[in-house]
Amino acid sequence: MSGQNTYNQSANLLSRLNRKAFLLRAGIGLTAAIAGGYLFNRKRSAKTAHIKGSIIGANAKIGHLLRDKLSIPEPSTTEEIEYLIIGGGISGLAAARELKRQGISSFKLIELDNHTGGNSSKGKNEISAYPWGAHYLPIPDPSDSSIISFLTEIGCITGFSPEGLPIYNEYHLCFDPEERLYIRGQWQEGLIPNLGLSLEERTEIERFFKLMEYYKTAKGIDGKYAFAIPLKDSSSDPTFINLDKISFITFLEKEKFRSKHLLWYLNYACKDDFGSTLNETSAWAGIHYFASRKGKAANAKNGDLLTWPEGNAWLAEQLRSQVADHISVNSVAFNVSVNNDSVLTSVYNTVDHKSKIIKARKVLLATPQFVNQRLLHEVNSDRSTSVYEQFSYAPWMIANITIHQLPVSKGIGLCWDNVMFESDSVGYVNACHQHVNQNENKKILTYYLPLTGKEPKIQRLVAFTRSYNDWVDIVCKDLENSHPGITEFIETVDIWIWGHGMVRPNPGFIWGEAKRMASQPINDKVFFAHTDLSGISIFEEAFHQGIAAAKSMTSTETHNGNS
Amino acid sequence: MRPNRFHLLLLFSVFVVATCGLIYELVAGTLASYLLGDSVTQFSTIIGVYLFSMGIGSWFSKYFDKNLLSWFIQIEILVGLIGGTSSTLLFFLFEQTESFRLVLYMMVMLTGIFVGLEIPLLMRILENRFEFKELVSKVFTFDYIGALLASVIFPLLLIPHLGIIRTSYFFGLLNIGVALVVLIQFSKEINWFKRLQFQAFVSLLLLLAGFVYADRIMSFTESMAYPDKIIYAKTTHYQRIIITKNQRELRLFLNGNLQFSSADEYRYHEALVHPGLAALPYAKNVLVLGGGDGLAVREILKYPNINRITLVDLDKEMTSMFTQNSMLANLNKHSFSNPKVKVINADAFTWAKSHTAQFDFIVVDFPDPSNFSIGKLYSNRFYQEIEKLLSPEGIVVIQSTSPYVAPKSFWCIDKTLQSVGFNTVPYHVYVPSFGEWGYVMGMKKHDYQLPANFPAGLKYVNRESLKQMIYFPADMAKVPTEVNKLNNQVLVHYFEDEWAKYL
Ligand SMILES: Cc1cc2nc3c(=O)[nH]c(=O)nc-3n(C[C@H](O)[C@H](O)[C@H](O)COP(=O)(O)OP(=O)(O)OC[C@H]3O[C@@H](n4cnc5c(N)ncnc54)[C@H](O)[C@@H]3O)c2cc1C
Repeated sequence: MSGQNTYNQSANLLSRLNRKAFLLRAGIGLTAAIAGGYLFNRKRSAKTAHIKGSIIGANAKIGHLLRDKLSIPEPSTTEEIEYLIIGGGISGLAAARELKRQGISSFKLIELDNHTGGNSSKGKNEISAYPWGAHYLPIPDPSDSSIISFLTEIGCITGFSPEGLPIYNEYHLCFDPEERLYIRGQWQEGLIPNLGLSLEERTEIERFFKLMEYYKTAKGIDGKYAFAIPLKDSSSDPTFINLDKISFITFLEKEKFRSKHLLWYLNYACKDDFGSTLNETSAWAGIHYFASRKGKAANAKNGDLLTWPEGNAWLAEQLRSQVADHISVNSVAFNVSVNNDSVLTSVYNTVDHKSKIIKARKVLLATPQFVNQRLLHEVNSDRSTSVYEQFSYAPWMIANITIHQLPVSKGIGLCWDNVMFESDSVGYVNACHQHVNQNENKKILTYYLPLTGKEPKIQRLVAFTRSYNDWVDIVCKDLENSHPGITEFIETVDIWIWGHGMVRPNPGFIWGEAKRMASQPINDKVFFAHTDLSGISIFEEAFHQGIAAAKSMTSTETHNGNS
Repeated sequence: MRPNRFHLLLLFSVFVVATCGLIYELVAGTLASYLLGDSVTQFSTIIGVYLFSMGIGSWFSKYFDKNLLSWFIQIEILVGLIGGTSSTLLFFLFEQTESFRLVLYMMVMLTGIFVGLEIPLLMRILENRFEFKELVSKVFTFDYIGALLASVIFPLLLIPHLGIIRTSYFFGLLNIGVALVVLIQFSKEINWFKRLQFQAFVSLLLLLAGFVYADRIMSFTESMAYPDKIIYAKTTHYQRIIITKNQRELRLFLNGNLQFSSADEYRYHEALVHPGLAALPYAKNVLVLGGGDGLAVREILKYPNINRITLVDLDKEMTSMFTQNSMLANLNKHSFSNPKVKVINADAFTWAKSHTAQFDFIVVDFPDPSNFSIGKLYSNRFYQEIEKLLSPEGIVVIQSTSPYVAPKSFWCIDKTLQSVGFNTVPYHVYVPSFGEWGYVMGMKKHDYQLPANFPAGLKYVNRESLKQMIYFPADMAKVPTEVNKLNNQVLVHYFEDEWAKYL
C-alpha cells in the first residue's frame, strides 16, 4: 500500500536524521566518559586500590556477534522439532513449563548464555548467592491462579488458610527489618521520607497514598480493575488508559503534588521499577506501580515480598528444573525464516563454534524486540522499524560488593533494602538477609544503578566505555556518602552491565500501537513473549507472557486473520 | 643565646622528662592492673622493673662521649614515641595473652633505660655551666618535682579527663615538644640536625594523630568497662569473650553481656534443666543448642538414664576453652570430656534445619534476642524446626529473658511456641546476678506433671520451689503479644523497648 510506503519512507528519513543527531550526542557523551575515565581518573584512586573484581557481564561479545554476524559459520546440520522457544529468561522458561504441563514433549528451549534466567540471574561465592538482576516478587493476588499454583508446586506456598488465603513459606518472606532510607545524616525505617518533614509535606504524602488506594480498587466500565497484574487484565476504560498519554510528572503537577520529598520518592520508585525518571514514565505506569498489587496472604500483608539470597534467580531455577531436559544453553539464534509449513531457526553454538538449523513447526521468541528485529529481518510482517523504535530500554549497572564490615552509622541498622536519599542509585540489597545462621561479618551487598539521565542509547554507549576502575570509584563514592569509611572494608566489587535492562514505559507506550503490533503472532507460526511486550518489567508479566504465548501457540490451528 | 635561658630550658626539660617518665610508668601499671588484675602485684613489679631499668640506663650513659646534646634529643624523641604509643600498643597486644607480659615489661624497660640515660646525660651537658653541688641539687629538685606533679595529676586530672590513651599520647607530645625546642634553640651545637628534625616532626604527627583518634582506639578496648580483674579475654570469629574474677566469683561476659556468675549460676542452670528433665524419667537422648559453657550439660549429666548429649554451639573457641582450661572445666565438672557428650560447632539454625534425629529433651540456651540475627533463633520457624527434632513425649525448654523486666518479650516467646503447636509451661526463678529470670517449656502432647523426684544434691530446684516457679504473680502476669516471625521480628522490637529503660 502506498500509504504504508510513504510512512515507511518518512520514518526512514526521520531515523536517518535522528541517527546523525544521535551520533553527535553520542560523541559528546562518549568524549565526556572517555575524558573522565582516561584523563582525570585513569588510575583508580589509592583509596580503592585494594578492591578486587572485574566486569563480569553481560557478555556483550555474544550480543555483538548477533548484530554483526561476523565469524558465524554456515549451518551444517538440521534438527527437527515441534516447538522451539528462543530465550531462557522467565518468559521463555514459563512457556516451556506450560508446554510440559500440556503433555508436549517435542520442544526445545535455546538460550545464548551459559545459563538460563536472563535478567533473573545469579552469582555465588563462599559467602552467599547473590542476584545479578531481579531480586524480589511481591506476594501475588490470590486470584492469580497460575502464579499461585506455581508457587505452591515449588514449596513457596505451603498451604491455604480456611478462608482460602495462601500460607507462605516464611523462609521466603522477606525477613524483618525490611527497608531503610538514609536521609539527613541518618537511617530511618521505611523508604518513604519521614525524618524531619514538615506537616505540610506529610499531609501531601498521605493524600498521595489515599489517591493510590482509590486507584487500587477502581474499576472501569468493563468491570475490570483499572490497574491489574498481569497488565493485560487491566480495564481499557479511557478514563484510565488516557493516563498513559501523559507523563507521571504531568499527572502529579495536575494533582498539585509538590512536596520535594514525595517527588523524590516517586522518582525513586520509577527508577527502581522501570529504570526511568518521573518525566520519562507514563502516568498510567507510575500509578500501576502503587495500585496494581493486590496480594493477600494468611501470614503476610499486602505489599510483603518474597525474596531469596540469589533473588528471582531462585524462581528461574525452579522453572528450569521442571524442563531441564529440553534446554540447550550456549545456543544463539541468529536468524529466523518462515516457510509454508515450518520455521527455520539458525543457531550458533558458542562453545563448539558450529551452526545448525532447527526446523520447528512453530517458534516462540521469548527475546526482547531489539533482538527480534535482527532475527526476523528476512521475515515479512507488520513489524516495521518504526514499531521497533518505540521500544526503549533502560541500561543498568549492578555491583555485587563483598564487605567484611559495615561502618557504624546513625539510625537503624542494616536492612534488606537500603536506599539513599538523592543518590543516583536505587540503593543496595543485603544478599545475606535471608540467611538464618548467625551473622557472619562478611556480607554481599547488591548495588543497583539505573543509568537514567541521557537517552538510553547514549547511556548504553557510555556504560560500555567505562572501565572497571571508573565503576568502582562511582560505587565507592556513592556509598561513602551514607557510610563514611566503608571503602576500606570493601574486598571485592564485581560489575554487571545490562545494556537493555528493562523496557521503559514511556508515555504512550503501554497502550500504544507499537506494543500491540509487536505482540501479534506471524502466520500462526512465530509467537512472542517477553516483558517488553507488557511494557513493565516484572516477574509476573514475564510469567504470564510465557504461559499465554505457549497457550496460543498450541491452541488448535485457528486461522489468524493477521497475515 | 643568653646562658640563663639556656640553663632554664635544660632544667625545664629535666622536669618534663621526669614527669613523662613517671607517667608512662603509671600508665603501664594502671593498664596492667586493668587488664591482668591484681593491682598490687602489677604496680610493684612495674615500678621495680622501671627503677632497675633506669639504673641500667645510667650505667650505659658512660659510653656516650661525644655529641651529648644530639644524643639527648635523640633519646627524648624515642622516649616520646615509645611512651606516647605505649597504652595503645599494650591494648592491642593484650589479645595475644601469651606475649602480653613480655611486651609490657619490655616497654617498661625501654622507657626506664632511656629515662635513666637522660638525667646523667643532661648533668654532663650542664656540668661545665654549674658548680657541681648546684647542679646536683637543681637537677634532682626538678626531677622530683616532676615526679610529684605526675603522681598527683595522673589520678586526679588525667585519667578522668583525658583517659589513659590520650594521656600517654599527650605526654609523648610533651617529650617531642621538648626535643624540638632544644633542637631549635641549640641548632648550631647539634650534629645531626636534619635527621633529628625529621624524626621529631614525624613522631609529632604520629602522636598527634593518636591523640585525635584516641576515641576510636578506645572503642577497641572496651575491656576497661569491667569492674573486676580480667583473667581471660579473646575475640573469636563470633564474639568477644571476657572472664573476670574477684574473691567470690568468676563472671563470663559475651560481647559485654553477663552470661553467668559462678556464685549463682547453679540457680540459672538448675532451673534451666531440672523442671523439664526430671519429668522425663525415660529420656535418653538430649540436645543442647547454645550453652557452650557446658554448665547445662553438667546438670543433664546428673541423670544416669541419659546416655547421649549433643551440644551444638557456634563458637569453637568457647567450647574448647570450657573443655581445656582447668579453672573453667572445673566449673562445668569437665562435662565436655564426658564420653556421653558430643560437641558440634555449627550454627544452631542451620544445624536444626538440616537434621532429623529425635531428642527426648532439648535445651535452647541462646543469648537474649537483642538483635535481628539472634531474633531469628526465637522465631516460629525455628520452633518448627525444634518441633521436628523433639520426640512425641519430649520437652523443649527455652531461656526466655526476664519476665519481670521484659514481660512482653517473655510472653512473646511463650506465644510463639504455642503458635507452632506446643503446649507451654512458663516459669521463672530469681538469680541474684541477673534478677528475675524466665524460661518456657514446650511439649507436644501430655500435660505437665510436677516431677516427683529430682537428682540428689540440687541447691535450688525441688518440688516445693518448682511450685513457686510456675506461679506468676501480677507483676509478671501474662500480656498479649504477637507471634515472633522472621518477617516481623517483633520480639527484637519488644526486647529493645523493654530493656532500653534499664540500660
Ligand atoms: C537490574 C534489574 C532489576 C530487576 N529487578 C526486578 C525485581 O526485583 N523483580 C522483578 O519482578 N523484576 C525485576 N526485573 C525485571 C526482570 O527483567 C523480569 O522480572 C524478568 O526477569 C524478565 O524476563 P524475560 O524473560 O521477559 O526477559 P529476559 O530476562 O530478557 O530474557 C530473555 C532471554 O533471552 C536470551 N536471548 C536473547 N537473545 C537471544 C538469542 N538470539 N538467542 C538465544 N537466546 C537469546 C537472553 O540471554 C535472556 O536469557 C529487573 C530487571 C533488571 C534489569
